[in-house]
Amino acid sequence: MHAIRTEGLTKHYSVGFWRSRPYVALDHLSLEVAQGEIFGFLGPNGAGKTTTLKLLMQLIFPTSGQAWILDRPAGDVEMRRRIGYLPENPSFYDNVSAEELLAYFAALFGYRGAERAKRVAVLLDEVGLGAERRLQLRKYSKGMIQRVGLAQALINDPDVVFLDEPMSGLDPIGRREVRDIILRLRDRGATVFFSSHILADAESICSRVGIVAGGKLVAAGTLADMVPFHIKGWDLIVSGVSADTRAALAARGATATLISEGRYHVVLPPELSSAEAVALVRATGGELVSINPVRDTLEDFFLAQVQQSARRTFD
Amino acid sequence: MKKATAIVLGAVALPVLAAGVVALQIVRERAFPGREPAQQALYVSSPAVLTRLALGFDDVVADLYWIRAIQYYGSTRLSPSADKSYALLYPLLDLTTSLDPNFNIAYEFGSFFLSEKPPGGPGRSDLAIRLLEKGITARPDRFQYPYDVGFVHYRDGDYAAAADWFERAAATSGAKKEGERADLWLKPLAASTRATGGDTRSARLMYEQLLNADAAWLRNDAQRRLKQLDAIDQIAELQRRVGEYERRFGDPPPSWRDLTQADYLQGVQLDSEGRPVDPEGYVYVLNPWWGDVTINPDSPLWPLPTENPA
Amino acid sequence: MRAIGLVALHVFRDSVRDKVLYSIVAFAVLLMAASYLIGQLTAGEDLKIIKDLGLAAMSLMGLFIAVFIGIGLIAREIDRRSIYAVLAKPVRRTELIVGKYLGLVGTLFVNLAVMAVAYYVILAYIGSTLSPAALKAAPAPAADPRLLLAVVMIGFELALVTAIALFWSTFSSSALLSAGLTVAMYVAGQFGADLKNFEQVVESPAAGMVGRGLYYLLPNFAAFDIKTEVVHALPVQPGYLVLTAVYALVYIALLLVASVVIFSRRDFK
Repeated sequence: MHAIRTEGLTKHYSVGFWRSRPYVALDHLSLEVAQGEIFGFLGPNGAGKTTTLKLLMQLIFPTSGQAWILDRPAGDVEMRRRIGYLPENPSFYDNVSAEELLAYFAALFGYRGAERAKRVAVLLDEVGLGAERRLQLRKYSKGMIQRVGLAQALINDPDVVFLDEPMSGLDPIGRREVRDIILRLRDRGATVFFSSHILADAESICSRVGIVAGGKLVAAGTLADMVPFHIKGWDLIVSGVSADTRAALAARGATATLISEGRYHVVLPPELSSAEAVALVRATGGELVSINPVRDTLEDFFLAQVQQSARRTFD
Repeated sequence: MKKATAIVLGAVALPVLAAGVVALQIVRERAFPGREPAQQALYVSSPAVLTRLALGFDDVVADLYWIRAIQYYGSTRLSPSADKSYALLYPLLDLTTSLDPNFNIAYEFGSFFLSEKPPGGPGRSDLAIRLLEKGITARPDRFQYPYDVGFVHYRDGDYAAAADWFERAAATSGAKKEGERADLWLKPLAASTRATGGDTRSARLMYEQLLNADAAWLRNDAQRRLKQLDAIDQIAELQRRVGEYERRFGDPPPSWRDLTQADYLQGVQLDSEGRPVDPEGYVYVLNPWWGDVTINPDSPLWPLPTENPA
Repeated sequence: MRAIGLVALHVFRDSVRDKVLYSIVAFAVLLMAASYLIGQLTAGEDLKIIKDLGLAAMSLMGLFIAVFIGIGLIAREIDRRSIYAVLAKPVRRTELIVGKYLGLVGTLFVNLAVMAVAYYVILAYIGSTLSPAALKAAPAPAADPRLLLAVVMIGFELALVTAIALFWSTFSSSALLSAGLTVAMYVAGQFGADLKNFEQVVESPAAGMVGRGLYYLLPNFAAFDIKTEVVHALPVQPGYLVLTAVYALVYIALLLVASVVIFSRRDFK
């Protein structure tokens, strides 16, 4: 059984009021996500990520193609008991508190009485909302609303969770907390399908990613499998390096730039392995401060893909 | 919703419900035709247009016009200007009663003041009766409107017409209502108006009924009119005694004192100086040359209905 | 069924706290209280005027609530995307529509009840200041229980207005447009009798037919207005009230079914 499966999912919108012409928001998307996976759905803004999620939630209806969640057609009401969904930039009702909102949603899933109150409290704790949970939502910041959105997506202890840009609007601490929540979901066997336009979000947690651009799925697989993400070199920060070390590094094709007294930024070519470079620094009496791989960003990759597909259309 | 369900709902339930809405509209219209507005009122006169503009708030707009009518009447009456034609009074009351045909006070007020002679009103008994006839059409059961028509005729001195209308009032269903039984005084009123039109007895009957009116100004006015009737009766009595004195001494009494000293004022209400006073306490005026008795022009009862204020 | 109740309860909770609502109700109560002053300006029948103004205030403020909060029902939810999270829950769109409608009608009725209580308090107070003669002369007592009939009919009328507001907001995502269309329909419903007699003022028989057709199809709001009868203590036949109430219910059902059909296939872009 697949957690999520789509087959030739296509959505056209008509643009313009008079003489409307179709705009292809999503073009024959076929995708499979296994149970227990954390699937990153990546792409630049306007690529079709949100359209895909809305089709899966049946907020919009496909022009053609089909989608299944947990082997049930998208839109099946019983299936929805087992999923959770965080919309992009969520917004709720101004005049209710976070607690009341979650109680309402929990009730829709059939939770009652003390069990419901407990469920609400646990989730609000999990997303880090304290006493402010009793305030009306009109008083919440964007980040707090994002946390409420996350809590409501998990209120029914779902088997499959759909998160549309879950990190947006959050500070670095918030992002880390969301990452932890996603990992905990995976640990208890849930499937997580999340969209993002930031590669770093995906890298740290995803088992698999799919990349969309211009409404088309351009790549799917593990991040490591994807050729464009191969390492292009290494970025080192070293301290206490002597002239000898610099000379030895230069001999191997590295460039060293002075940052401050005794501290250098060194760029190594990809032929040199990281272990070799570290050993070299150590052997000449230097101290390693940090080491980072140099590679294409997701944006570079998107750009290349978009250019490629544009070239294909021209040819 | 599944596509099939949507089609069934759209193709079956919607037409059935729409037919139901139309059918109910027709059934209600047939069963309660009275609520449909009269067709000839459509786009004919300004009250009809105003009723449309009122958008269902007819009663409130009627109230507003009623307030305007009152303010208009009051300011015209109090204004120092010599123009007392009250030209807007009838149109305002007509609009009020067109918007709310049950506006009792507008009819009663209209009949009372439209027929009042200047400067108290425009002296338009024809308009007063036209307004009341609208009221009679709207509420044929009420005895007050035909009674008010009779009252207008009575004040104009047309006692035969007044008596006819009092009889018509006595015949309404409202007059025979238990607890009200207005016919019990309307019938004698009609009879006495027809027989001895113009004497104070029937007038007294009418004003005594007005003492029960719900509007304070009507009650106050009735009270004043009843005192005027008392004054008219008292003047007639004083005139009789002055005549007796004149027959005996050859000349009218030079002053009230002479009349008192000759003991001609037995049983008449007198002030401390022995002069006869009207119900408001003002001394009656005695003309020593002609011997006629009139009301004191300072009295609030002046002028009496029979006297020419000029 | 349970979902409908939950949605209704939630709508009620959300909208009953709306500050706009408080101000509308407060304004209505103020208007009723002010009618006492207006009553002083007139000679006689002040009780009638206070009764008229109170009922008019209730029906007008109720209209505001029905239109502006009724539009927020769907239009604002789509506008602000709060509907996304709800539709991903195990709730059918039909249940959402019906639940929202019931929740709003509940809010409306509570507000109407508050206004009615204020109305009776004001009437009772004014009744206590009037002279026994004036009270005896009035066609009905000050705090006449029969006035409730008019309030109930206003309730039916406003429930119908709410259904219209809901219907328009299911296919237009602009709250302002929905409000405009609803108010237009309310106004057109007041002109019912004119549409019916349209054929008498136009030359073309086709235009007359269109007018007559519109008369039967548009909601006839004039039928709900029994304010005059009640204020003047005139008889209102129970059959008339029942027929008009049933008319409202069937019309509401028609609008709800149409809303559900449209809403269930709607894309939320």
